[in-house]
Amino acid sequence: MDVLRVSRLSRTGSRIATFVILGIAALAITAPFLWIFRGAFSGSDAELYRLPPTFDPANVTTDNFGKVTDQVPYFRFFLNSIIVSTTITVAQVITCSTAAYAFARLHFKGKGVLFAVVIGSLMIPIQVTIVPLFLVMSKLGLTNTLWALILPGIFSAFGIFLLRQHFLALPMEIEEAAKLDGAGHLRTFARIILPLSGPSIATLAILCFTYWWNDLLLPLVMISDTERQTLPVGLVLLAGRFSTGSLGTIAAGIAMAIVPVLIVFILAQRYIVQSIASSGLKL
Amino acid sequence: MSTSKTPRSGVGGQPVAAPGPRVHRRRGGDGIPALAFLTPSIVTFLVFVLAPTVGVLVLSFYDWNLLSDGTFVGLDNFDRLVHDDRLLGVYGSTTYMALAILAVNVVAGLLLAVLLESRMPAWLRGFFRLSFLFPFVVSASAVALIWRFLLNKDLGLVNYLLGLLHVDRIDWLGSSAFAPVSVIIVSSWKTIGFSILVYIAGLQSIPPQLKEAAIVDGANAWTRFWRITFPLLSPTIFFLVVINTINSFQIFAEPRVLTQGGPGDASRTIVEYLYDRAFGDFDLGYASAIGITFTLVLIVLTAIQFRLSRRWTYYE
Repeated sequence: MDVLRVSRLSRTGSRIATFVILGIAALAITAPFLWIFRGAFSGSDAELYRLPPTFDPANVTTDNFGKVTDQVPYFRFFLNSIIVSTTITVAQVITCSTAAYAFARLHFKGKGVLFAVVIGSLMIPIQVTIVPLFLVMSKLGLTNTLWALILPGIFSAFGIFLLRQHFLALPMEIEEAAKLDGAGHLRTFARIILPLSGPSIATLAILCFTYWWNDLLLPLVMISDTERQTLPVGLVLLAGRFSTGSLGTIAAGIAMAIVPVLIVFILAQRYIVQSIASSGLKL
Repeated sequence: MSTSKTPRSGVGGQPVAAPGPRVHRRRGGDGIPALAFLTPSIVTFLVFVLAPTVGVLVLSFYDWNLLSDGTFVGLDNFDRLVHDDRLLGVYGSTTYMALAILAVNVVAGLLLAVLLESRMPAWLRGFFRLSFLFPFVVSASAVALIWRFLLNKDLGLVNYLLGLLHVDRIDWLGSSAFAPVSVIIVSSWKTIGFSILVYIAGLQSIPPQLKEAAIVDGANAWTRFWRITFPLLSPTIFFLVVINTINSFQIFAEPRVLTQGGPGDASRTIVEYLYDRAFGDFDLGYASAIGITFTLVLIVLTAIQFRLSRRWTYYE
């Protein structure tokens, strides 16, 4: 009896501790965003600097969003960002999953060396290669087009590594059964490996989309035409008017840039949960 | 960097009549399908990664300022590198910040991911997961911009909250002791959601039967974690160590927007230093030499990690 009660008590205690830790972490992580969203709807900059932070519903305004679209062609940036991030994400899922399959499941000469090269290329910061990359793009006649932002994103050593790790963790038995049934590599890949990899592919898709959604360096270097710029550059343009303009406008710009990636994440998260529930992970 | 070693080999492309002994039937057996699977990656790699990398290599032997014709200077750029006292300091500050960010991601990330996988209502789990990943979806420059206000010495929210706890105002962005700490906080804050996400994917791929069996056998949570979760999660942990090492050594936007690398070089990173040489001084040859050596350092570091990983990672 006593032992049971003690263990139940300690279980309740550890559950409370779990929620306290998670709650504090969640608050610390989201607080700055609450600050930004408040700023986006705030009528005066003075309110943003007041301590302790206050929120006066009477001061709520949506003017800041209008100011954002007045100052920069925001919807154009938005569309460009959607095109670039979506195209790269679709292309990356294809190139990374096929390459990861080859590295995880096929046997061929030079695999170790090739994989080392892939991992090695992870270590080259884009700031290091940006000048020659620009020269490559201008040789191809693609600077100042969205292609200059899309093409460099398609190869992803990170994505190959991520999916390879997950493929390696998949049990071999069902594949071996499929092979015995005469399934070729393409069929094994498309019918067995991919359906079992929903969570990791969704993970790659989220990471890829958000990375390219937020990339600042490539559009700054490749694009000279304002009409072809992406959202992060739009934020910089807004922040460039920082000294004269309003903090609330920048907050509104940041808020508007956050929302689409948030939607992608929420959708993908549901997919992750679904694929766990319905997939053959229970082997 | 050995990939799959022994027992999992022997599965050729064609149906195998008899299982036979576990040997490689054909050396380099799947060459053609492998090529087909790899082609999209290989082509994009050659044009958009390898060619620019070779370009940087070539540039590192030149003195070039973007406008004039470059002049070949042999190893001069690398000679300057060895005699650049600032560079050593910047390597020091980069290493300090990178290791701290790595530790926060790998350790705190695992703790939070394990806590997230404990029993709780689905909506609450969704809420926590969403909050943790929130910063990751925002651009680094926007993140740093937000934190510049929060960490402001006189007007910032952080010092205000610390004041409530009777802590003196900290000069987060302007003192050489705290500027790197600020970069560590902001950068970890931004990336930890990613580590948690990868941990969750790894945790969920652990077959629940193993845990159930352990519970039936009377193993407590601590034992279950170290005997089941940790070994089965080790490929995921290893992945995160490698990725977080590389990413945190390469941080750029956070110090750039938060502290401009200062005071002095206290919070400057190699990539920032390189960027200033390239796009501030237009000293492209020297910047390329810094980039090449930095890349080599990262490659050696990763190779060591792969080497060491054989001792502690477990592949089913």
